[in-house]
Amino acid sequence: MSRTKELQKNLFGGTTSNARQFVMIATLVGIILYFQISTGGLTLQSGNLIALTQQYAYISVLSIGMLMVIVAGHIDLSVGSVAAFTGIVVAKAISQHDVPWPAGILLGLAVGALIGAWQGFWVAYVGIPAFIVTLAGMLLFRGGNQYIGNADTVPVPPGFREIGAGYLPEAGPDTGYNNLTLLLGLLACAAVIWRELRSRQVRKQMEGAEPAPLWISVIRIVVMVAVIVFATLRFAGGRIGTSFPISGIILAVLVIAYSYYTRNTAGGRHIYAVGGNSRAAELSGVKLRRVNFMVMMNMSILAALAGMIFVARSAASGPQDGLSWELDAIAAVFIGGAAVSGGLGTVGGSIVGGLVMAVLNNGLQLTGTGSDMVQIIKGLFLLGAVALDVYNKKQGRFSIIGSLTRPLRREPSAQSSDPTAQDRETARI
Amino acid sequence: MRKMLIKSLAVGAAAVLALTACSNDREKSGGDTPAGGKGFAKDALIGVALPSKTSENWVLAGDLFTNGLKEAGFQSDVQYAGASTTVADQQAQITAMTTKGAKVIVIGATDAAQLSTQVAAAKQAGAVVVAYDRLITNTPDVDYYIAFDNFKVGQLQGQALLDGMKAKKPTGPYTIELFSGSPDDNNSGVFFNGAMDVLKPEIDKGNVVVGSGQTDVKQTATQGWKAENAQSRMDSLLNSTYNGGKTLDGVLSPNDTLARAIITSIKGAGKPIPVVTGQDSEVESVKSIMAGEQYSTINKDTRKLVAETINMVKTLQTGSDPQVNDTKSYNNGVKVVPAYLLPPLIVTKANAAEAYANDPKLSPLTK
Repeated sequence: MSRTKELQKNLFGGTTSNARQFVMIATLVGIILYFQISTGGLTLQSGNLIALTQQYAYISVLSIGMLMVIVAGHIDLSVGSVAAFTGIVVAKAISQHDVPWPAGILLGLAVGALIGAWQGFWVAYVGIPAFIVTLAGMLLFRGGNQYIGNADTVPVPPGFREIGAGYLPEAGPDTGYNNLTLLLGLLACAAVIWRELRSRQVRKQMEGAEPAPLWISVIRIVVMVAVIVFATLRFAGGRIGTSFPISGIILAVLVIAYSYYTRNTAGGRHIYAVGGNSRAAELSGVKLRRVNFMVMMNMSILAALAGMIFVARSAASGPQDGLSWELDAIAAVFIGGAAVSGGLGTVGGSIVGGLVMAVLNNGLQLTGTGSDMVQIIKGLFLLGAVALDVYNKKQGRFSIIGSLTRPLRREPSAQSSDPTAQDRETARI
Repeated sequence: MRKMLIKSLAVGAAAVLALTACSNDREKSGGDTPAGGKGFAKDALIGVALPSKTSENWVLAGDLFTNGLKEAGFQSDVQYAGASTTVADQQAQITAMTTKGAKVIVIGATDAAQLSTQVAAAKQAGAVVVAYDRLITNTPDVDYYIAFDNFKVGQLQGQALLDGMKAKKPTGPYTIELFSGSPDDNNSGVFFNGAMDVLKPEIDKGNVVVGSGQTDVKQTATQGWKAENAQSRMDSLLNSTYNGGKTLDGVLSPNDTLARAIITSIKGAGKPIPVVTGQDSEVESVKSIMAGEQYSTINKDTRKLVAETINMVKTLQTGSDPQVNDTKSYNNGVKVVPAYLLPPLIVTKANAAEAYANDPKLSPLTK
């Protein structure tokens, strides 16, 4: 084994497949560094990081649900319309029918669940391909948005805007930073250290598994803590009145919850089984219809949430909400390494995929590139990222998609090292 | 093991300390800089965020801004929203301009009510927000509004419709149909109300009849100012109301793109072309007017509007208050925005040569 390979093995947790994940993170870091230099330091400025989080939180919320839909072997084209429909229902309820805004949020989630149940029913129990059902849904709920909203823009009250445009409040003594954001960063650091230590412990207890050398763990902790501290200080040190956005917190909670669900619970593993080989899964006792139903329903609930976050950030629900969101979400999932045929992909990968697109978009805008060129570059990037991956896989070399198949193999080492990468990702959002 | 850990924590702590030293934006908060209070550098960055490139007007405005701001010595960042994701794109573009430290941000809004979070952030960062052509609503953070007098535009359109029909057929009653613009554009209602200001008395007298009975701004709306939407609405109006022998004498169209779509629809149905109004002086429509199809358009010289906007930016740069001529009419729902309004001009075949004499692109068409 060559020296570099050995280093890779040690740094990224033992198997070569672990090292592959590094490529995706490296791409992201590369893009960030490129734009950091070409925009003269604007990319990593507090204000820009905060804006970036707010701008893409809703797309990332969608891409979590979309990842599960795609892993199960389906697609959902209706998310933008569902988001727009929910947005107008909630905005109208709050501003014209005096529904208090927390109840409005619950109403929105309920609307999402109902829509999801409707689409899930057709997909899972009638057996119509999700492509068709959600294409119908796309028209249905876009029309619904315009019917209910009269194609009008309906404003929402300040309380509701918090979920899209709000920040952690200022509290405690004047430290020159936002204290709650600092606390959040501290928690993230603690979690990272605890995870690393725990994974070492687990591996020690396991027979035949040998923990990586101590210095590796130390480097890993230091790098991750440094990244988190950097991000925390940036978020906490923005203009007074701004700090870590509420929408970012919502996203972080969802990412952690759904990562755990898809990786560590039976229900989550069933989705992969269904997407990998539905017949085999069914014969092994997986309730196929139930899984399909839940996946479609979950997607619509998340779409409803994304719609509300966007409406909150825009301070109003408008007739153009949700246009081509489905494409952004799907692009994020595929850049993040999911397979079109289903069965492959991770929540973390999709978030990084979304982040890559977000940073690309933001960087191009900061350098003053027109929206026509931005679209061209994003299109080429999507094609290039997936093509490179397919090519490498055929060559039996480094594969981004391959790196994401680890959860399927259920290696103990994968279980222990993956979550740390996850934290690194969430810390950056 | 334990020693290593202690060491690692020490390194971590050192890293934290090192990073703490990095810049903190908190001190240089520009939150309370009053608009136009002190002026700014002569080569400051001026951001211009325009809607997507759906009409010639916006493309021209973008070019004029890029060149004009450069001539005036400013740095400029002129952006169009993407065609499919207009609102989200424009929000991101305005935020990017704020991050880059733009001193004035000129915004031609795609959805006038969905920008309040972004303009609030721009305002807090010390930028002056100027609403260009479309008033930004639902926010206290707009400093100025600059546009042609849109109510006047509507009145002129209404008057042109009446004059045109009278010229073709000296006595009424006249049958007309009404079209209005996109409901998310604040101007749509202003145009429509201006036109109705002139048409309503005639309708009440029975001199003018709306054939389909659709007189509400909601019923007449054209989502997204899209030609296809106007065309399909006209198609169905022709089928539902004018299928028998009823003749259509005039159509109120808020702009040229829609006017041409309406004429296409009527031609397709094989009916005689009625009097159709327009606005914006688009090349195709000027050709159409000269060919005797579309009846009128409005000349809102984009050159003048951009030039006035750049004048406003220059005034702001020196630190004085720019000129406004209307401090009462433009209430955006939160406050009355001081406005500088330019007078529009109605153009028909009769005065086209005169109206476009100074326009290099349009004047050859009128000869």
